[in-house]
Amino acid sequence: MPGLVGEPRRILITGVSRFWGSHLARRLEEDPSVEAIVAVDTRAPLVELKRTDYVRADIRHSLIGKLLHAMDIDTVVHAGLIVDPRRASARVVHETNVIGTMNLIAACSAADSPVRKLVVKSSTAIYGSEPDDPSFWAEDMARKAPPRDTFTRDLDEVEAYVRDFRLRRPNAVVTLLRFANVLGPTHDTPFVRLFDLPVVPTIAGFDPRLQFLDEEDAVRVLERVVLEDHSGTFNVAGPGIVLLSQAVQTMGKVNLPVIPFIGSSLAMLALERIAPVGFSPHLLRLLQYGRVVDTGALCARLGDVVQHSSAETVQAHARNRRVRDIVRAEPAYQYEAELEEFLRARRPAGNGHAPAAMPAPTRPVRRRRKPRRAPAQS
Amino acid sequence: MTQQAVGRAGSNGHRRTPSRLERMRKELPMTAMSATGSLAMRLREMTGRDVIDLESLQEIVSFGYRAAEVRSAHSRGNYDVDDFGFDREFTNALVPLFRLLYKKYWRVETSGLEHVPSSGAALLVSNHSGVLPFDGAMIEVAVLDAVDRYTRALIASWFGGLPMLSWFLRRTGQTLGHPDDSVRLLRKGELVLVFPEGVRGTGKPFSERYRLRRFGRGGFVEVALRAGAPIIPISVVGSEEIYPMIGDLQLVARLFGMPYFPVTPTWPWLGPLGLIPLPSKWRIRFHEPIRTDEYDAGAAADPSVVMRISDTVRDRIQYGLVEELMERRSVFRG
Repeated sequence: MPGLVGEPRRILITGVSRFWGSHLARRLEEDPSVEAIVAVDTRAPLVELKRTDYVRADIRHSLIGKLLHAMDIDTVVHAGLIVDPRRASARVVHETNVIGTMNLIAACSAADSPVRKLVVKSSTAIYGSEPDDPSFWAEDMARKAPPRDTFTRDLDEVEAYVRDFRLRRPNAVVTLLRFANVLGPTHDTPFVRLFDLPVVPTIAGFDPRLQFLDEEDAVRVLERVVLEDHSGTFNVAGPGIVLLSQAVQTMGKVNLPVIPFIGSSLAMLALERIAPVGFSPHLLRLLQYGRVVDTGALCARLGDVVQHSSAETVQAHARNRRVRDIVRAEPAYQYEAELEEFLRARRPAGNGHAPAAMPAPTRPVRRRRKPRRAPAQS
Repeated sequence: MTQQAVGRAGSNGHRRTPSRLERMRKELPMTAMSATGSLAMRLREMTGRDVIDLESLQEIVSFGYRAAEVRSAHSRGNYDVDDFGFDREFTNALVPLFRLLYKKYWRVETSGLEHVPSSGAALLVSNHSGVLPFDGAMIEVAVLDAVDRYTRALIASWFGGLPMLSWFLRRTGQTLGHPDDSVRLLRKGELVLVFPEGVRGTGKPFSERYRLRRFGRGGFVEVALRAGAPIIPISVVGSEEIYPMIGDLQLVARLFGMPYFPVTPTWPWLGPLGLIPLPSKWRIRFHEPIRTDEYDAGAAADPSVVMRISDTVRDRIQYGLVEELMERRSVFRG
């Protein structure tokens, strides 16, 4: 299917306060064929964004339809699904994932909606994790067991909304991406926190097959399906597999199989008190039985867009983590945000569209603006 | 320069004590081997027959060596597993132990190995018996020694939920018997071993030994047809006698979620000792391949074709069993 490269695009991205949305927005900014990027979230973007318009809004409310109209959005990227249970309370996670998605898709599927393309970030967690699972999950396979935890149930609902949208708007391009667990220097995930522990607790008697995805690859896949048209559902994971024990050894940590295989969730509650990793029930099942997806469909459609195998992803992550305490990226951003705000304030108004965004200034930024202005004027 | 010299001397001095220990540890297998060798000679002179078997000794030593090698290589996570979780080095380290069982314990006599292709896919289909799946391991050793290929056995999904066994079986190349997985393995050109009887075969009472159970719904034939791989029937004699199952405690089995809970003359009365299999004499016969590439694409969905091939395979295995049993004079001496 030919992509519509060159055609101006007006893109709305959800979830920019977290890894996925923010990094996608940053990459899309570099593409000249993207006319406008509107970022929606309840919190400020995670990274510095140059020409993205940030709207502080909650997708759980129905104003999103108005926004789509007002900004004449043709592509909606729903990257706001919360996978990591430590991000917010259980209620917020459920509402953002289910009610938020429902609202967003309802706005997209309205009869007069300008949206003609929907990209949804889902998770391979939808396949569940059972002892009698097939060795590889293809996109058209469904798990046999009922959802065992709220997160998996939420994912079921999210994908059901996407299916509804496909039926209601058959002409729209709908891309559903199921991502494997992501590892990388900037993204904070339960697996990253687990591998940061000096001694990694694992489930006694089990050594599951896992897959990991490099964060660069993850964003690259997302960017490709936004800029090109690839209708369908795709598993996204690094080629090959990694055994959990192998990953722990690669990270240079000690594998401690202490979690009993019966009543593991109780033991995990106790472990969370010692080392807060944020392992929810669905991740605990993953630690026991593992999960591997077939990425053949993605490779057939997008070529080798995923460049790092699962094993390479873990190796790269191990290298990054060794220098983590020496190279810290976070403080640098704060500074650029100040500069950015300063430059925006000084820029003459009227270039491009009016900023519908509130730049979400924080107090330390304002306080430090004055001393910085003085050298700029001189 | 002086600093370098000092540094070198320092490191030498520092390392002196461990290095002697290390040298001793390295030479230990050789010392042990020569000592056992001379002991074997002495015993042979005294008694006039082989008391200590040098061939078995060699296998045990090679197992020790390989296990140590694999352990050091694996401690850094620096090894490859294939997509199914098969770890070749780990498996190679264990082969000497199973080869010992094959050659010395069950003294397996194998025939028809020329039917196993040295390249390309094939579906090996065998009868299944003996409570614990040692028959699979023995077929794998036979194939490995004959054509230097690893066999990928399909295991019951029940094993996936068992601690230890779940990863051990995957590490050594086994995978769950999901049809799509089997087709995937065959399309990769692997040798796939399947036991269509499944737990119905391993969990059958001793009184029904060597009588094949139902071959499922012919799922294995569908798999072979989809992949166009030949089917090689295998008859295994001897595995029925390793754990003569005289009872089945269904109540206990249900409690632990097991398909059966065997009672043998030694298990569970003798505790862990009851797990030692009896040293019966085994015979494995590989039959002529049954080709499946002559059928057209729709054959896998045609129950009449599938069931016909399934019955052919079943008959061939059953006849093979009967023929081998006619040849066998004694259960333990062959």
